[in-house]
Parts: sequence; C-alpha cells; structure tokens
Amino acid sequence: MNLRIAGTGWVTPLGRGVDTVWNRLLKSDEAAEQQISDPVSDKKYFAYRVPDDALRDLPPHPRLRRASAISRFAAAAGLDALAEARSTIGQIDPERMALVLAVSNGGVIYTKRFYHDIVASGAQSASPLLFPETVFNAPASHLAAILGITGASYTIVGDGAVGVLAIKMASDLMENKSLDACLIIGAEEADWILCDAYHKWRLIKKNPPVELFRDPPRGTILSEGAGAVVIAHDGEIKIDAINAGGNFSRRHDASAIIQGVLHELADKQTCLIGSANGTFVDLAERAAIKTELPNSTVYSPKPALGESVGASALWQVITGAQALRTKCLPPVLYSMPRDNLRFASGGETSATKAIISACGLNQQAAGLRLSI
Amino acid sequence: MGRFNQSNGKNREFRVAVVAAGVISPLGCGLNSTLGALKANQDCISSVNRFDVAKCRSKTAGQVPGEWLKPQKNSRKATRLHRASRMMIAALRELRDQDSSFQPELSVIGTTSGGMSFGENYYRALHRHRTLRLSPGWLANYPPQKPVIDAQEALGISAPCQIIANACASGTNAIGHAFECVRSGKFQRVLTGGYDAISELVFVGFDSLQASTPEKCRPFDRDRSGMVLGEGAAVFALENLESARARGARILAEIIGYGISTDNHHLTQPDPSGSGPRRAMEDALKSARLNADKVDYINAHGTATVFNDAAEGKAIAELFGKIPVSSTKSMIGHSLGAAGAIEAVICLLALQSQILPPNINFRSPDKDLDLNIVANESRDAKIDIVLSNSFGFGGTNASILIQKSAA
Repeated sequence: MNLRIAGTGWVTPLGRGVDTVWNRLLKSDEAAEQQISDPVSDKKYFAYRVPDDALRDLPPHPRLRRASAISRFAAAAGLDALAEARSTIGQIDPERMALVLAVSNGGVIYTKRFYHDIVASGAQSASPLLFPETVFNAPASHLAAILGITGASYTIVGDGAVGVLAIKMASDLMENKSLDACLIIGAEEADWILCDAYHKWRLIKKNPPVELFRDPPRGTILSEGAGAVVIAHDGEIKIDAINAGGNFSRRHDASAIIQGVLHELADKQTCLIGSANGTFVDLAERAAIKTELPNSTVYSPKPALGESVGASALWQVITGAQALRTKCLPPVLYSMPRDNLRFASGGETSATKAIISACGLNQQAAGLRLSI
Repeated sequence: MGRFNQSNGKNREFRVAVVAAGVISPLGCGLNSTLGALKANQDCISSVNRFDVAKCRSKTAGQVPGEWLKPQKNSRKATRLHRASRMMIAALRELRDQDSSFQPELSVIGTTSGGMSFGENYYRALHRHRTLRLSPGWLANYPPQKPVIDAQEALGISAPCQIIANACASGTNAIGHAFECVRSGKFQRVLTGGYDAISELVFVGFDSLQASTPEKCRPFDRDRSGMVLGEGAAVFALENLESARARGARILAEIIGYGISTDNHHLTQPDPSGSGPRRAMEDALKSARLNADKVDYINAHGTATVFNDAAEGKAIAELFGKIPVSSTKSMIGHSLGAAGAIEAVICLLALQSQILPPNINFRSPDKDLDLNIVANESRDAKIDIVLSNSFGFGGTNASILIQKSAA
C-alpha cells in the first residue's frame, strides 16, 4: 500500500484551516460551548458549534444555496484539502478522483424539521424542498457537483469509527488504476435532538469540560464540523496500515476490539491519537493502550474540540498528521493524572509514527497508522 | 471506475463467485418463494398498514408481512430489534443455511434509512410530551449499522461493516464495491447486500415530491405516474472463485462487472440525456471486458417516474438495442437501499431458472422509449449474462453484471 496524505482540510469549533486549528490546540485553547434548546422540550444542552465566520469565504455555488450546515462544512473542508493537495501534487483531474464521505447522523437539522412538519401539521405539510436534503448522501452529491466528480462517490455511515472505515474504503478504491486521488471527508452537524438522544443513552454531560479517563465516565459534549483528507500516491505523510477493526455487542467488549486493532498497528516511536471522549470509550481505550502501547504518548483532541461523531476520526487523522509534520503534540486537556498513561503535555515529540484509535459510541472500532 | 489495468501485469484480477444468497421481500421469504412469486407474476403491492397515510396522495407499498419477521427466540433483546434487523437476520440466516462455513473478512451493506421508524417513535413521543421510557431502546436500534451488526451477531459473524448510504443505488453500490474488493485480491470473502424497512418519513418524503403514485406502478409504460415504495433485505456471499472451488463451495453465479457514475445534473433528477446511467452501464461492460451484445437481460432501475424511466430507457436503447428489459419494482415496489440487492437476487434466480422476470402492470408502450419490455408475464429464455441497474438521489448510478455459473 503506497498511500499518502496529499492535503487536509479542517472545519471545527476552533475555526477553519489546519494551521489555525492546530495552533489553537497547541496553545491549549478549547472550543467555546453554546447552549442549545428546542421548542419541543424545556431541556437545554451544551454543544461546540462551528463559528459563523468560519465559512464566510466559502465560494458561492447553486448547490449550497439551500444546503444544510453539514454540506457546507463538508464543502469547506473538502475544498481546503484539495487546495493543499494541488500545491503538493499538482492538478487533480476530477474524473480521476473518487469521493468518500463519512457521516454518522447526517443532515439531522433538516430531517428534524421535515418530520416535525409531518407530526405537527400532517403529511400534506411536508416540504419537498427539505426532503432531498435529509438523505445521507446529499452532502456528497453537492460536493461532487461543485468539484465536477463524475465517477465514484460513496457515502458511508457509522459511528465515531466511520472515518477510518472511509479511509479503508478509499484505499480499496485506489487499487483501481483509473484513480489518481481520493477525497475523504467526515462531517457532522450538531442539533438539540442529537444532544437529547445521546443524553438518553447517558453519553452526554450537562456542562463542559470533557474529562478524560474518569472512572466512572461523566460523559461527552457533542460538536460539529468536518475533516477532509486527500489521499494519493505522493505526499509527506504515509498511511502505513489500516485496520477495519470490528464490532462490539456490549460496551465492555469494546476494549478487546481496540486491543486487537492496536496489536496489529503497534510500532516503535509512535504517538497515539485516541478517541477518548469522556464516555465508556475512555476506559476501553485505556485498557487496550496499557496492554499494547504502554510507552506511547497519548493525545485526544476531544476535550478541546468535542465529540463530532462522523467527523471525529478524520479530525484524529489530521491531528496525527500534524503531529508528525510539526513534531509537536498539544497537551491533553482535563485528563486524570493517576492513569499512568503517558499523556501528551504539550511540546515536541520524537514520534515518527502516529496510531489513530477510533472507537465509536455505537459498536464500531477501527484504527490506522501514519508515518513520516 | 471498475477497470483494473492488467497491462503491466501488476494487478492480477480474481474471479468473483456468489456462493450463497438470502432474501426477504414482499415476493417472499427465501429464494424458493421469491422464484415462485416471480413465475406467478405476483403483484405484492398493498395498502400501507404501518402508519397513517390518509393525507398522502399515495397509499400503497410493497410490505413484508409481520409474521415473516417474528423472532425465533423470544428474548427481550430479540423482541426489541427493529424490523430492519429482523429482515437482515432472515436474509442472512438463509445465506448461512446454504454455506455455514462462509466467514467474511468484511461486510459491505447498503441502506438509506437504518432504523428510521424508531427515530420517528422517539420524536413523536418528544413532541407529544409522552413517556420516553422506551427511548433508549429506540435510539440504540436506530443507527444504520445496527441491523447489520445484529444479523452478524445472530448468525455468528464478526466482520467489520462498511455501510453504504448512496440513496437508491446503495445496494448495487455495495455489491459492486464488494466485488471489486474480492476481484483485486485484497479480500477472499466479503458479505454484501442491502436492506431497508419502510418508514413514515421516507414515505411522506417521496409523496411530497410527487414521485410516488396513487395508481399502479407501471415502469416504462406510456401512462406511468410514479413509484411505489417497498422494503426488504438481500445478502450475498462473495468469494474468490479459486478459494470457493478449493473448499468445495457451491457456485451460484459470478459477478463479472461493476460500473459507477455520478450525475451532477440535479439532486433528485437525472440528466434527461441518460448520460449518467449510460456511463454506469458502459463502465460495467468495460469492467467485465464485454460487448453489449453479450448481455441477455436487464433488470432496470425502472421506478416508473417519468424522468427516471425516460433517462434510463434512452440509455438502454442506445447501448443495448432491443434487449429484454423489466423492472421488478412493478411487483414489489422500490425498496431503496435494498432494491439493488433484491434485484440482484432476482437476476440470480433468473439465471438459475432461465426465465425473464416480468414487468407487471404494463399496458401501453411509450413511443419515446424503444424498449423490449418483458410485459406482464415472466417467460422462459436462454440467458447467460444479466445486468442490474440502480440509480439514486444525489446522482449516484450503479450497474452490475452477473453471469450464470459454468458448473
């Protein structure tokens, strides 16, 4: 497998742009929480939202006129990743490029509005303008139209591990000699209904911060945005190995799946970019790291950026790539010191490889390894 | 897409066998009952009984009877499962009954809506300030990967799952991608297919677009007026042919080609020129290194909407001339993410039984579509290679070619 990262794009609650977000992470910045509410209930939750000005210079396109936030996040991250890729590997013919979009909850804002009209006013009130935007592959369709992609376009759905599964799919697509590059995007939009649903699952906490590796875990804070990666045969960062992992039926089985993934990816001089997010994932990941990679420096971006579900693994991949490029790791925020894991404390790292461990909240876990 | 360059000898291609399959749809639960219903030209469309459709134009759908989905075990967990999970379990159980030793390294499954009706239950309860006591169960069974994980768990399979949600092309995209995974040699065995269960949100959505019809579903007919929704699940066990033969597996058919294209004309409407479907079909032929005249039958996407059938019919006529064509959605409705997988099973049965499945409710040819429709009744035919089309919202187009087993 000779796959390399040729470009990255990052739209997060800490802003847009890889350098912008990275520098803020290095400075221990964390996203500002916003309270979100809904007329359907008195309950209020906190989430980390993408700032309004982050998409200000997104080029206008007819496809984005009525598109949901998730499509705009995906478009912004995708265009940024392609712009960087063009400076790295030159022009990419859109007919020789595939698109793989990873989502978890998809266009939930329009879906809720569409269904609300049905429930509140009856089926005859349902808007034909909203319905097409509720479909999982609407963001990929808009992006394909913007970029002129006429070949393979796939939307894949899953939990927080779906970004790794999307990269796995892209690596399989790249076996095809008619492709020069693949644009992979993970995207998600936050909404009150998601917060309420994850709260019902006891995975959300009422207020920030996200505290890692607490036992028992206290919950996470949802966020939104997108992460994009262009993979090609040239680029500074190599994707060494991808492990599609597996599924766990019960939460306490998650650790065994992560352990299997880490066992296969383990290597010397690695840092580990984890998916710890303040939920059961932390304890599962901690046990697996202690067994398989006890000497690795561990970092999770989720206390700073929140849990963006479908976008989160792509955010981890970008974090890993940045750590290798800049030879720095931001400090882990709000972690429990007694855990005897080697948490990143901020500053330089000698790691030449980064392992991405992606354990989702809905039964999937996978991982990959980057090198420079 | 779909082409592997062999010129440098670097990329060896492997033949891809179908070694087992399972299906549940309004036509029947299992391959045998499905074949029987196909031969009997059965119209499986009935009044929607799962939610209120009084305020919709369309009031019918192809539905899987509830009694086919009763859990075998009466455990608490089994009774909580979404009907999409139960459909996946039924289809996968049939597959495992044919080949109990098939252990996939990967699952690639298509869907559009996962456990959508559980999300609807949750929102309705929220809106009406009713008890949310059951909501954790609804929410836990809502994600699209859940029915696949449930089915795998029930049947002792533990492969990682890639869930493709390419709207109505999802099932064919899943089979096509799984085919390429095995053909490239990266995988020996892949489980693939698609599922979808009917839900109010999706039903009303198509109704709001006036894409669904209050009449009969009449694909390619002059008087076609729209689609009818359906539901179901179908799965295939794909395996490297050499590996399958080495372990003595029964070879049901071979997947020999896959084409995918993206039509950027509009989010919900195809380019009227038919260029998107045409590129998918051409790429499937190139992928199989086959001329169009080698294909004996096309199971069309054929939703019976004015625009889809016009674009697809034009592309088929231009590429294949007077090849026999039918849309079996006329019998079972459009099962969205499951459609491509169920129709691939129908193609498999057609190859095994040497029949052309019917396009029922066909009354009057459309003078603008120069097609050879298998009108109203299945008929015997000698067929070796068939093509199955699926096209979806977002402009995703997918075609696969299936060849009769030589054995």
